[in-house]
Amino acid sequence: MKRRSAILTGAGLQRIAVALLVLVHLVWVAWGRGPGFLVRRTLGLLTGPSERLAQRWEAWRAARDQRLRGLAEAQAEIQRLRQALADAQVREAQAAPRLAEAEEAVRLLGLQHQLPLDLRAARILANTRNAPFGGLLVDRGRDLDLREDQGVIAPEGVVGRIWHVAPTQSTILPLDAYNASTAVMLGRSRATGVLQGTGPGRAEIRYISSQEVVQPGEPVFTSGLDRVFPRGLLVGYVSSVRPKDIELRIEVSLAAPLDRLHLVLLLPPSPPLELQAAAPPQPGSSPDAGLPRQAPAKGAR
Amino acid sequence: MSPKPSPLPMKAEALALLTLVAIFLLAPWPNVQAVLHLLLVVGLAAQARSPLTTALLACAAGWIVEGTLRAVPRMGGTPLADMAVALVARYLLARAPGGRLAAFWSRYAVLAAAHGPLAHACAWLANGPHAWGWGWLVSLLTVPLWGTVAWRLQRRPFDR
Repeated sequence: MKRRSAILTGAGLQRIAVALLVLVHLVWVAWGRGPGFLVRRTLGLLTGPSERLAQRWEAWRAARDQRLRGLAEAQAEIQRLRQALADAQVREAQAAPRLAEAEEAVRLLGLQHQLPLDLRAARILANTRNAPFGGLLVDRGRDLDLREDQGVIAPEGVVGRIWHVAPTQSTILPLDAYNASTAVMLGRSRATGVLQGTGPGRAEIRYISSQEVVQPGEPVFTSGLDRVFPRGLLVGYVSSVRPKDIELRIEVSLAAPLDRLHLVLLLPPSPPLELQAAAPPQPGSSPDAGLPRQAPAKGAR
Repeated sequence: MSPKPSPLPMKAEALALLTLVAIFLLAPWPNVQAVLHLLLVVGLAAQARSPLTTALLACAAGWIVEGTLRAVPRMGGTPLADMAVALVARYLLARAPGGRLAAFWSRYAVLAAAHGPLAHACAWLANGPHAWGWGWLVSLLTVPLWGTVAWRLQRRPFDR
């Protein structure tokens, strides 16, 4: 009884009231936003580090996947571009011969306009110059009324003459053939001689007196004395000069690229010795279409 | 022989009630409100006649502050912290009622420094993460101001 009365005194009741007040607030605050709030909060605190670690792991994986996707797309693009480049190179390689032939045809057309002769074009079918008694085979023959010893020229220079005529094809004896002889003259001294073939792309001039002054690099033109070529068509350039007995041994590098010819022009039989003045260049003609160039007039020196 | 109880601290209690009203009216200025809040909780409520009065004054101050600020959806954290700090301050005052002004400043500074984290911990317990504000720093920096007021109103000897 005494103890109960001690509790129920004013001070005791006040202490109880204070304790209840604090306890009610504590419960109210601790209850939070719901019965499971503290549990969730505690679990959240405990699992927070692992969740943050997992989030960083997932973010790293997502970034890596993104990089890998980007890399795969880039590699596929590179592969596609490589394929496109290879296709383009194949197309270019396929079109290169036709393009070269077209350019050659343009130059041939310009030459045909500049020379006042009845020129006819022919396509080279085969090149058998390296074989014994070989030559160039063209696709024109008796069907075009061709005859032996008609001159053959290209934009770069003289090619040779027709050696044999078949019904639909002809054989050309090139200038570098051992049995080929062409009447030529030197560009500066105007000395005339005979050009004889000595091998692929080369020939030498015979019957030039050792009294003549000949320098390497001097152009060599046709002289027209053989009645196969008119005077003044470019044959080649002097590559070396050596004295040999009473005449000079003059080696010539031929101007026409005999290995790379596709189209040639056929001169008419027995052309005139002198050509008329060249016609003015036609609009649209190639700038290289003046070949083979003609030698200057004799009085012009 | 125990010291004779001092007269009723009507002056401090009246000032506490006025401070309650001021806390309510100063809601647009939270930093000033925080200073008066600490003055009431740490300084004035601890000098009340009974522990119940101390707890009620601190509880009322806490509810007024939270109710006027409306910073958290579930209130009750600040009153709980206020009651705890006020009861501790009352206990310290009962244990060591005398002392110089500088010693009281130190005591008030420690209580104010403890009050801030405790109040925010209780609010976090009830609501989760929330804004802190700068009231705790302002009240801590102004301890010499409101601590002097509380020291001057202190009864001697304290009514145990």
